[in-house]
Amino acid sequence: MNQIGNPTESIDFLREVFRKYYFENKYFPYLYSIEKREFGYRKFDSLVVRHLSFKNAGELVAELIRNVPLDVYYSNAYYGLPSNPINEKQWEGADLIFDIDIKDLNIPCFQDHSYYICNLCGFVNSDQKVCINCNKGKTLDISIPCKKCFIAIKKEAAKLLDFLCSDLGIKETFIEIFFSGNAGFHFHVNDPNIRNLDSNSRSNVTDYIIGNGFMCESIGVRKSRNGFMIKLPKGGIMTGWRKKIASNLGINQKSELKLKHIVETSGGYEGFRNEINKITKKFGVHIDGPVTNDIHRIFRLPGSINGKSGLIKTKCDDLESFNPTNDACMLSDSEVCINLKTSLKINLKNNNFRLDNTLEKVPSYVAVYLICKGLATINKNN
Amino acid sequence: MSIKLGSSELAKYPFLQEASTYIQETKFDFEEFDRPEMIHIINRAVEKLESELKGKIYSNLDEYEIEIMTFLVSLLLIKSIGVEEISRKCSLFEAMRVEKFLSTDLSNERSLQKKKLLVQKIFQELFKIDIDVDSTTIICKLSIADYLHRASKMNEQEWKLINRSVKDGYVYLDTDEAVRLIRNELSNLIYTRIKNMKVSEVPILIKSKADELKRKYSGRYVYRNQFKILEYPPCIKHAMEIINKGENLPHSARFMLATYLLAIGKTEEDVIEIFKNSPDYNEKITRYQVEHLAGKKGSHIKYSVPSCDKLRSEDLCFAIKECENLINPIQFGRRKFK
Ligand code: SF4
Ligand SMILES: [Zn+2]
Ligand SMILES: [Zn+2]
Repeated sequence: MNQIGNPTESIDFLREVFRKYYFENKYFPYLYSIEKREFGYRKFDSLVVRHLSFKNAGELVAELIRNVPLDVYYSNAYYGLPSNPINEKQWEGADLIFDIDIKDLNIPCFQDHSYYICNLCGFVNSDQKVCINCNKGKTLDISIPCKKCFIAIKKEAAKLLDFLCSDLGIKETFIEIFFSGNAGFHFHVNDPNIRNLDSNSRSNVTDYIIGNGFMCESIGVRKSRNGFMIKLPKGGIMTGWRKKIASNLGINQKSELKLKHIVETSGGYEGFRNEINKITKKFGVHIDGPVTNDIHRIFRLPGSINGKSGLIKTKCDDLESFNPTNDACMLSDSEVCINLKTSLKINLKNNNFRLDNTLEKVPSYVAVYLICKGLATINKNN
Repeated sequence: MSIKLGSSELAKYPFLQEASTYIQETKFDFEEFDRPEMIHIINRAVEKLESELKGKIYSNLDEYEIEIMTFLVSLLLIKSIGVEEISRKCSLFEAMRVEKFLSTDLSNERSLQKKKLLVQKIFQELFKIDIDVDSTTIICKLSIADYLHRASKMNEQEWKLINRSVKDGYVYLDTDEAVRLIRNELSNLIYTRIKNMKVSEVPILIKSKADELKRKYSGRYVYRNQFKILEYPPCIKHAMEIINKGENLPHSARFMLATYLLAIGKTEEDVIEIFKNSPDYNEKITRYQVEHLAGKKGSHIKYSVPSCDKLRSEDLCFAIKECENLINPIQFGRRKFK
């Protein structure tokens, strides 16, 4: 939530809606080994509390209803003593989690639905400069992803799924895909065989998926005194990244001559390396590496409300048919009045909303979404 | 069908279970080392250690019984020398010796059965790594997790997962690579054997040889043996990765990397070797610069590693949790040996 310029009325409104949600959704079906997880949450004043632990879902829900946080997090790690300070928690392993986000995809339409909100007065500017209302604040960009954005991110998610299943050989039963509730997907991998990978090993995996650090030598092109030489690796070039690159170049284990020719036409070793970099960029997935490599991080809890949007972090069983703005929108329909800071169009729960006036009557889920985004406030006369 | 390793094979791998069984079965007693006919074995062990301490693999190979005895005496010698760095170094070279034999055995062995047996003995029995030899390609395959637990500790770019043959959750390695992968563990295994050895009384002959070796070699290790860098700090790792990718490093980063590597005891040659990957590498210039930093050229001042503060201001810092409270990257991951 962008709490700047959000009067207490708006916050009270959100808290009531959130409380009701947690009261009515007491179960977190995708949360297992609760007693081994560290929990944390962000309060409405932005303060983050960490190192909490709960014996069961009941205790957790009680806490959520009592304190009504803006965001709820839990650790990917399993700990012997989850509420201890970080070095004394007794780390016992951690799920492998991947994070992909629309903003990292450089989609052309992204600018079209970005809003620039002043970090001091909350005014919505049309440009990413100093605020024209107060002349002091800087603008933060807030985006309302569109259909095209979601199509693109789902495509990226499918690519990631393919890497996990085909290359890394992870069984689909160990992979849970969640819509983050805002603009991305989280992949939770709970394969017991990889739970104990350390951070270095994980960074090997992320580099693999991103396509970082492929050496020309791995496909048989080596630097030599007079430029380069070809020596195909003994292990062959028909698996893993070697294969992705080989098929892109149209070569196989017997194509030494063809490969030599390709290197020559791309301008020798250096030129060839640039070619390789282009290919790895194209086939790699835009995951957020450091997130995956961190084995002590806390992540948004599946089934909890995303405070940036009011949408739920939702399990996604089929990427193709999943509709984020509908399937993750679970808050109440009852109507409320809001003050809008800008005119805009959005689609939620399969309804199109065209909001041109400064005062509008909308369903609660729309109000929550826009207040969380910092684009509206609740009307005092509700 | 039961296939067994013959004694000529076992001679190369004296740390296997079979060797201890042999010692037990022959009811061998430590006191026997004081018998004159043992002098040959003791001298051989000394020769082996001296070669290892000089940085050479001892490749001379004798019969099974002699190898086992030599191995045993070597361990006793190292134990009674009692210098950490000597134990480490000899364990490493012992591992590399095994690596050499194993690589040759695996690539020369015609029988797939026997090859599998050998791989199984070493990889599975000793290190619990599930490894299999593919029947058609004679390539080893192991799970990605098993691979990563080991390979992620190696700094060379070629060991990164992306540069490997990967398919359906397995990494495929040729035999040399598979053997290289366990070098560290092998070396640790031998090291632990030495550490855990309980010897109430070392035979006199061995004791006096050990004292001799200690006098001769321990001087070289007095300073270096206090610390061991378990892992490079993130700033250094990052710079290494860039170099390994063959990309250009800014001057400030080169300075940091070179001073760091020299400070942890790498030789100038090692450092020059690492810089070879730079696109603008020039042996003469690099050599001059590295020698300069080491205090051998020009000002004759040995340059120290820039502080974390300085590196932060140069955008070279990639601090992680373990960096907390560090003043200089050199402190990263240092554990004092007890
Ligand atoms: S804190 Fe120091 S050691 Fe850690 S990354 Fe930064 S500069 Fe390197
Ligand atoms: Zn402003
Ligand atoms: Zn869009």
